[in-house]
This record gives sequence, C-alpha cells and structure tokens, in this order.
Amino acid sequence: MHELSIACEIFEQVMSTAKEHGATEVKHVTLQMGRLSHTNPEQLSFCFNVLADESIAKDADLIVEMIPPSLECECGYKGAVDEKKIRENCEFESELLAYAAVMECPVCGKPAQLTGGRELIIKSIEIETENQD
Amino acid sequence: MHVIDMGHDVYKANDKVAEKNKKKLDKYQVFSVNVMGAIGSGKTTLIEEAIRQLKDKYKIAVIAGDVVAEMDSSRFRKLDVPTIPINTGKECHLDAKLVEKALDEIDLSNTDLLIIENVGNLICPVDFKLGEHLRVVIVSVTEGDDIILKHPMIFKTSDLAVINKVDIAHAVDVDAEKMRDDILSLKPNVPVILTSKHDWESLETWISFIELGVKEAQNR
Ligand SMILES: [Zn+2]
Repeated sequence: MHELSIACEIFEQVMSTAKEHGATEVKHVTLQMGRLSHTNPEQLSFCFNVLADESIAKDADLIVEMIPPSLECECGYKGAVDEKKIRENCEFESELLAYAAVMECPVCGKPAQLTGGRELIIKSIEIETENQD
Repeated sequence: MHVIDMGHDVYKANDKVAEKNKKKLDKYQVFSVNVMGAIGSGKTTLIEEAIRQLKDKYKIAVIAGDVVAEMDSSRFRKLDVPTIPINTGKECHLDAKLVEKALDEIDLSNTDLLIIENVGNLICPVDFKLGEHLRVVIVSVTEGDDIILKHPMIFKTSDLAVINKVDIAHAVDVDAEKMRDDILSLKPNVPVILTSKHDWESLETWISFIELGVKEAQNR
C-alpha cells in the first residue's frame, strides 16, 4: 500500500498550484490513473482527505479517470489491448491479472511492449478564487 | 470556478529523480542493483553471499530499506561494507528521492557496486524506479507456486528473476520448474536463476550475474 506517499505528492502539487492561482478553495481534483498502476482509488481518496483536513482542499472531491493499457508491437501495431480477450479471461481474480495475461499484440500475437496504463497523472484542479470573474 | 490544467505525472516525477540518480552512478562507474522480493524470500541472505564473495575484488556499498527495524543493515555492516539504512516508516517501497538522499552519504568514487535492498513486498516497489541498472526479483518456493501469476507486474518489469530455497521445494509441495515457466510466460527471455543457500553452485550463478554487471560498468 503506497497510497499515503502518493497522496502526499498529490496534495503538495495541488496546494502549490492552487496557491499560485490565488485559490480560496479547491473543489475538485481530477486524476488519471492507469489500470495497471498499483493504486487503489478509494484508499487514495481517503489518504488525500486526511492530509487535506484543515486546508483549503478539505472538501475537495477526488475524481479518478481510469486509463486502459496500451501496447506497441514490433509489427507496427500501436493501440489498445484486446478488450474482448480480457472479457474472456474474466475468471482471473483481478483485473490486473487479466490485463497482464493479454499483453500480446492483437494483430500478430507476439508479446508487445506496454506503453501506457501505469500512469498516475494529476490532470486538473477546480478552484474558487476571491474575485470571481 | 476555475479549472487549472496540471498534467503532473506522479510516477514520471519519480522517474526523473531516478534518471538523475542513474546519471550520478554512471559518472562514478558504479553498478547498482535493486533487489526486490517479499519478506522471507531470502533477499538479505542472497545479498550477504554476494558481498562475501565479491568484497575483496570490488568496493561495495549497501542501501538497506526497512519499514522500521535496522536488522538487515546490521547484518550487512557485520560484513564490513558501508551500509545506509533507510527507514521508510509506514511506506512499503523505496522511491527515487529516498535513494537520492542516501547517495549523498556514500563515497561513490570509492564504490564499484551498490546493492539496494528494497522493502519486502511484491507490489509497491514495481511503480518506483530508483536509478538502478539491474532490477532483480527474488521469490522463494515457500511462497507457493501461484505467487508469480498473482504478482505479474514485478516479473514483467524485472531484468533478472531468482527462485530461492529450491532445496525445500518438495517439502512445501511446490514445483520450482512450474514457477520458472510462469515467469517466462510473463516475460519471455528473462534470465531465471534457481538458488538455495545450501547449493554452492547455484549461489555462484547468482553472484557471477552481478559481477558481470560490475565489469561492464567499469568498461563503460
Ligand atoms: Zn504485432
């Protein structure tokens, strides 16, 4: 579980950006999370709220958008993993496992390079400022 | 209400520090190894063996990551190598910033090999590069033969996989060869070493793998 250190990093970045823009309140924080990153959105929200208590972000909503994994293959394929195959593999106990099992190129079947799906991005924040314009 | 675009990637921020660490290590021709694996997989023992065999040939330093205790770092200090303990507190992994700080305490111009023992855990260390040249995952047969497919990402991102304690595989009803096949199914062509502290030949294979990296770093 490394949600706390991630939440710290997010909190620090959000607060410094909010201050730069003269925020009086942070309303929303939008994150993009790769499906293969080892982070749990609920735990992350919980840690963030604990850290943000007594700050201008204390009521902020953490909105998490999930990013599906993407592949690059030596045959030239660039794009998503085979979602149909993932549904067929639903006997796997975790989504992570299902994805890991299908990291072959959907075109030629060779093991492909993972190019996306492990990121954790603070996409944007929504803030209130003193002088509304 | 204002929307402010940030686009700050938390993992990329770590990767940037890791890249900086690696450049620093390269400058001093230090070969660095990040040893990952669960608690009880035998990380410390395998590292100790490597230190014993290599310390007369190369100058070795160790960064020992631990949640709270200093048990492992005191084991390395007994071998007379400079050891920096990093207590992560509640955290389950080392990150590039912690290693960056530890590097300041190491005399890099007097180091050929830096071994970093990560915190015992097969999940969290995956997302954090440290600036290492070699990522090693150590897993023991006592963890059961489904341990690999349950933790695919650590095997997918490692440069070397070690299956340890193979001498007791039969006793715990585990097939080490199946474990090897599982690793290769996740990452074809990754070198897999089967080790036991009671089998000298297997330890030699492990140690020679590290030595190969040190030699390459010195010829760079
Ligand atoms: Zn292909």
